[in-house]
This record gives sequence, structure tokens and C-alpha cells, in this order.
Amino acid sequence: MVVRPYNDELKYLEKVSDHCWRIKKGFQPNMNVEGCFYVNSRLERLMLEELKNSCRPGAVGGFLPGVKQIANVAALPGIVGRSIGLPDIHSGYGFAIGNMAAFDMNDPLSVVSPGGVGFDINCGVRLLRTNLYEKDVQPVKEQLAQSLFDHIPVGVGSKGIIPMNARDLEEALEMGMDWSLREGYVWAEDKEHCEEYGRMLNADPAKVSMRAKKGGLPQLGTLGAGNHYAEIQVVDEIYDKWSASKMGIEEKGQVVVMIHSGSRGFGHQVATDALVQMEKAMKRDKIETNDRQLACARINSVEGQDYLKAMAAAANFAWVNRSSMTFLTRQAFAKMFNTTPDDLDMHVIYDVSHNIAKVENHMVDGKERKLLVHRKGSTRAFPPHHPLIPVDYQLTGQPVLVGGTMGTCSYVLTGTEQGMQETFGSTCHGAGRALSRAKSRRNLDYKDVLDKLDQLGIAIRVASPKLVMEEAPESYKDVTDVVDTCHAAGISKKCIKMRPIAVIKG
Amino acid sequence: MLSLKMKLEVLGHPGFTEVVISDRKEFANTVLWLEDQKIRLYSIEDRCKLRNVDNPEVWKEGYLKYCADLNMPPLETRQEQLSWILSYAVRLDFLDDPDQFASINSKQVPPQSNGKQTQQKVQAIFEGNINTQEKAFVDAVRLLASKLNVPHHPNHLLQLEAIARVVHERLSPAAKDRKPVLGKPFPFDKGNDVVSSNDPALDLPMRILRLLQIQSLRELQTHINETIVAVQNITANPKTDTKLGKVGF
Repeated sequence: MVVRPYNDELKYLEKVSDHCWRIKKGFQPNMNVEGCFYVNSRLERLMLEELKNSCRPGAVGGFLPGVKQIANVAALPGIVGRSIGLPDIHSGYGFAIGNMAAFDMNDPLSVVSPGGVGFDINCGVRLLRTNLYEKDVQPVKEQLAQSLFDHIPVGVGSKGIIPMNARDLEEALEMGMDWSLREGYVWAEDKEHCEEYGRMLNADPAKVSMRAKKGGLPQLGTLGAGNHYAEIQVVDEIYDKWSASKMGIEEKGQVVVMIHSGSRGFGHQVATDALVQMEKAMKRDKIETNDRQLACARINSVEGQDYLKAMAAAANFAWVNRSSMTFLTRQAFAKMFNTTPDDLDMHVIYDVSHNIAKVENHMVDGKERKLLVHRKGSTRAFPPHHPLIPVDYQLTGQPVLVGGTMGTCSYVLTGTEQGMQETFGSTCHGAGRALSRAKSRRNLDYKDVLDKLDQLGIAIRVASPKLVMEEAPESYKDVTDVVDTCHAAGISKKCIKMRPIAVIKG
Repeated sequence: MLSLKMKLEVLGHPGFTEVVISDRKEFANTVLWLEDQKIRLYSIEDRCKLRNVDNPEVWKEGYLKYCADLNMPPLETRQEQLSWILSYAVRLDFLDDPDQFASINSKQVPPQSNGKQTQQKVQAIFEGNINTQEKAFVDAVRLLASKLNVPHHPNHLLQLEAIARVVHERLSPAAKDRKPVLGKPFPFDKGNDVVSSNDPALDLPMRILRLLQIQSLRELQTHINETIVAVQNITANPKTDTKLGKVGF
């Protein structure tokens, strides 16, 4: 890493508009393309402070600052366009979380990097609507939260209540949501409203280690820990009435359920296994990167292909996982209101993936090119009429589900044409951490965090209360800042805002 | 109408956006403009009857003779006739300097339907026992079209195609049993999708085509969903076992 005084570093950064900064070549060595990041004034301060801190003499340890990570990604072989940082960006393993980068599939030197997908492969958000209103749910929200908590096991080491054996798992890894459909856990319309129709076709369970499968089996249908949650939310504001009605959201006060979860320990093991293989491949193919954490392999190498196939299996695992929780949520609601999920109109509005790499066609310099798009902590946001979005959203653009932090609001955005041109159809994914987990634990008290939620009238069920301060709103950037930046920059459009009334957490 | 205006535009007609074909005078003026500027079939003196726009009798006589002299095939509506004259003028314009357009050729344009498929379908229904070019058949199609308010098209087979679509969408038993669409209609020229804001001639047809495409996609997706549900009836057996559940820490 180049060590320069902060003021010298700033020479490589240029503010090109109110919401976008350019990172010039030379900021880090060997940059093939430029970088950029989207921020508003408040997020900009956080971003630059992080860089400033890292420039202090003697600053060692921890992750590199987000801007540096964006620039290091720009130095990877085969990258096209720009290395892009979204407003919720924060440092992560190799790639920053909230960094997207696309690699040319026709360039034999192009790489795939597990760090560009993240450890929680196909972590994502699913939103279910209901025809209930706040007045129907408020009186029973404590019972409803408890019922959800009983149905959806949470926390580290939790086990699901859907019986599965090893053969079921193999099939689920290959079939993704089609497995859930075949077994009758979800509805046909759920598949229609899911990114990639809930199944990556190139998944190959044979490329996944025994260790990953053994660990993954009992975890299917569990929410997990960390920042994952299931929330009962109420529509708080509708910015785009027409698009909202296309999603079945008619009025303020309507109740929806948001599920934020991923591939649990399974995806983590797949990523860990791949990193080991890739270090070897890098030596063999003499691939040089600026950061050891950016382990990668050529897309067409055995290691690259094996990773993509295993990653797809992990993605399928995550969709089955979210589908199982959809089933359990519908059961919990049906029992509580003594009716059927059908009569509660509990349709999936959409299901997004925000940790994934996918092959997509994009226009680059006026030509259509086949790219491997890495989105880590970044949500796909395709514009109206894109062939890969469901027919119901052809006129509105793809719904983008942005989960806030515990106790703050969440948003639904829609994809735009400008986003397609500027960011390969990508936008933010959530609030984005501002304090590290360790720092949050030191600075906050879990009792205060729980009390505060109570004051806000939010019912909470949590498996490990002593860890909730890691997920307290104070540990995150303000999701509203993040979403407003995306909206102002034009890379996605605000549609609906929701606030939580009950939270289930690991 | 759009194609007429487009042709007028490429020929450089000064008021192409405002021309109202149904107005006899405007129609006459447009024809005169085409003869004066583009076609020049007659000498200037011979154009006096066409120029007599204000006297309908004289003008009509001149116009019919003009059509005959142009060798226009018998066309029924003014719209078709003007369309034909415009195409003729465009052709003359093109022939003045064909090399200029050499790079724009049919390879870039997908083949257009000429009614052959419709003809084959009709033949299949009647097992080859019908002549689709027979006058009785053509008249029947025209009559049906006027009853159903389907716009006129010189090729009656294409018109039949349009009729079939109207019948399928509006009059078939399946369409009649369909539940009425509820909710507020949304003006389709407003939405998040950008088409071509600076070119209304492109914007409108694009939006209509996209809506038709979305409609047929929706139909396909509904069929897919129905198929999945049919299979689910055989395979589905969702189970839960709360004894397996374990909340972590």
C-alpha cells in the first residue's frame, strides 16, 4: 500500500457532482480503470475521515479504508467501466461492502474473486405483503412476534424445523427455489417475484465440500445471527404511488414482513474453501493484486469455474432458506389471525440478493458485452423493460429492497435507466456499518439498546441479547442518508418507506 | 396516420404535424404540394385542375384523372390513396440518388408479414377449400372489419389477422368470462420508463408495442404458474417438526 500524507491522497480524489466522487488512477498502484463512489455531505465526511485516520503515522491493523479498497479492486485484471462504491460502503474482506465491479467474460485474464461476493453468499432481503393494517396488528404484535420467534429459529447454532436429509440438501442445492416449490413450501408466484427466479442454473453440489454440506443441513430454515432479522413493518410513506400499487401496496399503515437472511454457515464454508484454492491458482497463473485479501482466479480456470458453481449452490441454499422462512411466516400469521395465508394476500413482493456474482449483459462504450458482475453489499437495480425483471414490474423497474438497521426504517426503491448506465444497474443494500462490531460492544450497553426499542413501541425477540448493541442503529450509517443519496444521484428511485413494529433477531 | 406523417416529414413537407387528412381541402393541398414539389408528372399548366382546391367538382375531376395518370391501383379510402402517392413520391426521391441510401438495406430490417401466414391458417381451417382472394371472401372480411371497427388495411389478410386478435381478446368465451380489471387505470404515457421523450412519433408506438409485449408475457407467466401449481398438486408435501427446532445463542 502506498503511504502518503492525507493531503496528497486528496489530490487523487475529485468531486464530480453533488453526489459522486471520482478516484483517479494512481491512488493505488496498477489501477486498470478509475473508481468512483456515491455519497452525500454527511456520508462524505465519514468516508474521508476513515481515509484520514488511516493516513496517520503508525495506523496499522484492521481493514483498509473503503476508498482504498475501491481502488484496489480497480487494479484487478479484466475489470471494465469503473470500480463503484455505493453510499453504504464500509470496509470488508478484500472488497469493501457496498462495492460493485464488473469483469469482461471475453477477456481470458479476467478474474472472479470470492471477496467480491462476500462470505454470506446470496445474503438478501425478501418482502412479503399482507392485506392487514397497523390497527389489526398492534393489539397482537407481542404474540405475533413470539409466534414468529417460535417458528423461525434464530441465533448462532440454531436449527430449523423443516425435516431434511442429506439427499434433500443435494437436491435443494441444485434446484434452489424449485425445490421449495416441488415440496410445496412456497407458491408459484413467489418464484416469479424472485431475482433469478430463485435458482442459479449453473449450481453444482459436487463442487461443494462435505464440511459445508454437513454444517449447512440443520441450518436450513433458520434466520442466523449478526445483522439478519425478520421484521413486521408498517408502510410509513409512499413516494411513488403508482409503482407501489403495482407491488400491491395501496396505503400507509399496510403491514408487510421483511426477511433478511443468507446462506448461513454453508456459504461461509464455500467462500473459505474457495479462498484456499485461489491462493494456489494465483501463484500458478502469476496473478498480482494490491491486497492479499483480494484472492481471485481467472474466470475460465478450474478454480474460477469451481467457485462459480459452488457459489451458485450456496445461492440456491439461501433462496431455499428464505423460502422456508416465508412458509413459516405465513403459518405464523395464518394461525394468529385464524385464516389462510391466501386470504391474508401474503404474496412475495420481491426477493433481492445483495452478495452475489452474476453473468449479465451490459452496454460498455456503446457495445453490448458479457460481464461477470460482482455485487457485494450492493443490490441489483434494473430499469423498466429489462428482460430479467418480472413481467409485473416491467413498467416500474425492479423493486430494490433496502433493509435498515434494527429499529430504523427500511425502503423499497425501483431501478432506473440512469443506474443501468452508471453503475451496471446496481444500488445500495442497507445502512452500512459506521462502527466496527467490537467498537459497538465497547461503546454501547445492550440494556439501553433494548429499552430504546421498547420506547419506540417495537416488540423484540432476540436470541442473544448481549450482542444486540452490535446491531444498534448507532453502529450504522443512517439508512435515510444512504437511500436519499441513491435517489438524488438517480441510480434508483424512492418508492416506499416502512418502519418496524416487531423484530426477530439472532 | 403516423406512417403518413413520417413520410411527409422525410419529404420535407413544411406542416407535416398538422395535416388533417379527413379535411378535403387539406388533403387536396397536400396532393398538390406533392405534385408541385416532388412528383412533377404534369407540366405546370396541366396542374390547374388540381390547383382549383376551392371548387370541389373541378378538383375531383382533376384528382381522379391524376390518380389514373399515376397508374394508382384502385384504393378505397383517401388515407390509402395518399399513402400510395406518398410512397410513390418517396420512391422518386430515392431514385434521384440511390447510392446515398446504399448502406440502409433490407438486411437490417426483419421480414414483414404479408398475410401469407394468415392465408395458411385460413386454408388449414377450411382444408384448402377456400380461395382467400375471392371477392366474396374479401367482402366478408371488410364487412366484419367495419362491424368490429377494425381500421382499414389494403391487404385484407392482414386485416383478418387484426380481426382475429380483437375476437380473441374481446369476444371469445374465455375473454367474456374474464374478471373485469379493477383499480384505477394509469395513463400509459406516464411512468418510470423513458422511451424517447423528444420524438413523439416514436414514443407513442413504442409504448403501445411494449404494453402488448408485456400483455403476452403476462399470459405466458400465468401459464407457467398454472403448470407449476398442477405439478405441485402431485408432489407437494410440506412438513414441519417443531422437535427439530433449536434457538441458538
